[in-house]
Amino acid sequence: MKNLGTFAAEDHILHLAWSPDGARLLATPASGSILVAGQEGEILETLPGHGMGNGESAWFQDAPVTCGFDGKVRLVGREWNPGRGLIERVKTSPDGKFLAAAQGKSLHILDQEGNESLSLRDLETSVVDFAWNPSRSREVAIAGAGGATLWRLGQKKPFARFDWGGASLRVGWSPDGRWLATGDQTPSVHIYDIPRDHPLHIQGFESKVQALAFSSESKQLATAGSAVVTVWPMTGKKGPDGATPIQIDGCESAAQALDFSSKGLLAIGDGAGTLLVITFEKGQFRRKRSKLESGISALAWHPSQPILAIGHEDGQVMLLALE
Amino acid sequence: MSRIPVTILTGFLGAGKTTLLNRILTEKHGLRIAVIENEFGEVGIDHELVVKTDEELFEMNNGCICCTVRGDLIRILGNLLKRRDKFDHILVETTGLADPGPVVQTFFVDEDIREKTFVNGVVTVVDAHHISRHMEDTHEAEEQIAFADVILLNKCDLVPTEKLDGLEKILREVNALATIHRTTRAEIDIAKVLEVGGFNLDRATELNPHFLEPDAHHHHHSDISSVGIEAEGDCDGKKLNDWISKLVQEQGQDIFRMKGVFAVKNQADRVVFQGVHMLIDAASGGPWAGRPRKNSLVFIGRKLDREALNKGFRACLA
Repeated sequence: MKNLGTFAAEDHILHLAWSPDGARLLATPASGSILVAGQEGEILETLPGHGMGNGESAWFQDAPVTCGFDGKVRLVGREWNPGRGLIERVKTSPDGKFLAAAQGKSLHILDQEGNESLSLRDLETSVVDFAWNPSRSREVAIAGAGGATLWRLGQKKPFARFDWGGASLRVGWSPDGRWLATGDQTPSVHIYDIPRDHPLHIQGFESKVQALAFSSESKQLATAGSAVVTVWPMTGKKGPDGATPIQIDGCESAAQALDFSSKGLLAIGDGAGTLLVITFEKGQFRRKRSKLESGISALAWHPSQPILAIGHEDGQVMLLALE
Repeated sequence: MSRIPVTILTGFLGAGKTTLLNRILTEKHGLRIAVIENEFGEVGIDHELVVKTDEELFEMNNGCICCTVRGDLIRILGNLLKRRDKFDHILVETTGLADPGPVVQTFFVDEDIREKTFVNGVVTVVDAHHISRHMEDTHEAEEQIAFADVILLNKCDLVPTEKLDGLEKILREVNALATIHRTTRAEIDIAKVLEVGGFNLDRATELNPHFLEPDAHHHHHSDISSVGIEAEGDCDGKKLNDWISKLVQEQGQDIFRMKGVFAVKNQADRVVFQGVHMLIDAASGGPWAGRPRKNSLVFIGRKLDREALNKGFRACLA
């Protein structure tokens, strides 16, 4: 592994996002200025923070979008104040046409012309997390207290709902659109086979499940609820139902960040600074382990190259090239 | 790493919570206080240290009230605790109609938050002019009083002194443990609001349940009350543990707060405990230091059976 460069933000790195072309990296700390860096860690732009805390940033119309505890979304040349209360994250639809911001019981949706008419307001529960359907840009999953709902933009009611009564913290939609997964406070994982309308509940995690990631070909789902990362097979008619998952150890504390590369490599980071890069082959895995100086809080693979951005609890961001 | 103290501020809409918050945010007390505000009223507070959020209840265990926590708090606190530049104190304001239980329980149930913060106390602001009506019309007003470590009987300038005495008596019947301060425009030494230590077992001293004896001359309309028990002699640790476990399993939903200081057989130090619904914390309370070994226990809750509680506890004596 080769260190391409490092840079430092003012605080614990909350989120990392590469621009769709991979030329720029957006690094969002828990508070303070949000940084845009190049592939070698050179700072290209410094964006203002959002008061007491920043939310997770995104790219929209080839420009960074930030949000936070001040209830504001900042896009290029404008500030969007869609409602009241803090905004924890913004995400762009896979086709780049819509930007969504979660705020209390609303999912505000902005199109490229600046219209907000597709927004979902006065929902039954607060939007804890949401995910665009990677295979259909006009569908979005919303997770919150009580489960998850699936929406088609423009419709007034969800087209599917998964009520299990607990509390979801994270939601992920597989790239092929078949699976929906939630990481839960309870601590457990719920997986839904959407075409079969078949739910699965996986328990036995040591702590709440705050990170999950699908592989780019939708063949695997990685979940982190302890120092052991569990990777579920998502292929075949039944997916993980009845299958034996792969258990990846090697972390020294609870895994905090997970990301699959476009080539199927899985990166895992823990609070003690352990970085694992996992290669899968025929149901087995190979593990490359490195010990970094500070706890790892965010990971993001470059969209097309073998470059991994690593965000640390101390605010450092490192760019590693895998040889 | 020292844990960050958290104060929970409750009170009906219009009682004076916002006035108190403004004081806390603007007075020179030298503390950096983050405020998590749930009340989206007409008079909102725009301040760099205020974050506004919608109350969001998470049922952790099929609707059990004792396992209901505040999801928005878990996430906001999670973010605040990641900051390098930590706050000295966190203040959580609930909505006027909120049950304080889930807010308090959040700090017991979530592992990360429990590790890095502690509830310093529940402060309830009461509108002296309207509280009688609020208590008649809603159960939330009484529950907010029942949970309190400190009660600010506010707007005292609007009520004659003799009526205030009566109000204070009613508040005491619901919650005999809380400290009551009479205020006008929420004017109070901020330390009396922030440095409460109501949930801090290290600061637990002797409880005084004497003033909890039922008042034969007053008819109590509410089904929320306080029951105090005091007994000399040592407890049997196992019997005590079994009794409290059974009690909270069977009546935990109706027990808002409980505190106790015990003399346990074969244990030289005091044993202190406190609980919220079914969640209980116990610890060594340090040496008796010359004070007589005795047991003091206070319950605040709904439909409490004074006789049964007394009988149950006395059966735990060694």
